[in-house]
Amino acid sequence: MRAMYLANYFVAGCIAFSLLGWVASLHPITFRAVLCLLVAIAIAWGLSWLLDFSLSQLLNISVADLQALLIGGLAMLLIGLGVFLCT
Amino acid sequence: MHLKLFVLSASSVVLWLASLTALDKTLDIHKALQGVSLTAAIACAVAAGNIAREQAEQNEIEEIKTRAITADVVDEIATSAYISQQQRQQEAEQILNPCEHLERSLALTYDEGERSEPITQNQLAEPEQNGSENGESERTERIHQLQAKGWGKAKIILEVWGISKGGSPKYKAAEAEYKHLLGEE
Repeated sequence: MRAMYLANYFVAGCIAFSLLGWVASLHPITFRAVLCLLVAIAIAWGLSWLLDFSLSQLLNISVADLQALLIGGLAMLLIGLGVFLCT
Repeated sequence: MHLKLFVLSASSVVLWLASLTALDKTLDIHKALQGVSLTAAIACAVAAGNIAREQAEQNEIEEIKTRAITADVVDEIATSAYISQQQRQQEAEQILNPCEHLERSLALTYDEGERSEPITQNQLAEPEQNGSENGESERTERIHQLQAKGWGKAKIILEVWGISKGGSPKYKAAEAEYKHLLGEE
């Protein structure tokens, strides 16, 4: 059951990134806004990898859990945007 | 609950993939439908995730309860086994070492300074009058007690019957009774 809820949240994240792509396709301005958002997400993602020990203490989770979250987030982004762009 | 969970999960995936593959991105109405479909898909996936998480937490609580009950039962069994083992050990000690047990029980009541009077020859000659069983049991206890102290036969006979060692018939009678009381005959 734990795997089930993790999978559902993962699918929700993938769909959210697809929705972000859909929003970007609406207008050039929204495209730029989404691009800025993606850049910000990429910077935050990289910083999280660099500051993983401090962040894990701040969020009260283990470093392994934080790294799993970051990898899962990257996978959600790639799958979500990949599905949107390939269809 | 499980059916709802599976339906929500499946519908989220279908709404996500079907809207993107089946609808045309160039048409405005299709684009709008895609947006609605994706939003609904997110809602379905999050709802399914929440249901699954609640279910997982309930399962964990049940597992903890089961583990606690099992540990309680194991502890109770171990305690009862320990108690019965102690009882068996005590019983075995009582059976295997009656002299020590007697000495222990007598040590609680017997004063070291107190010395019993030697049994007179009249009492020896008239066992029926004194009550044969009580007298025998008292003598047996006294003999065990003196044996536990490491006394010899002659000394015990002198203490209990008041007859010194020798070839006299009284001593032989006392010795015979001594053996009879100890079950040596």
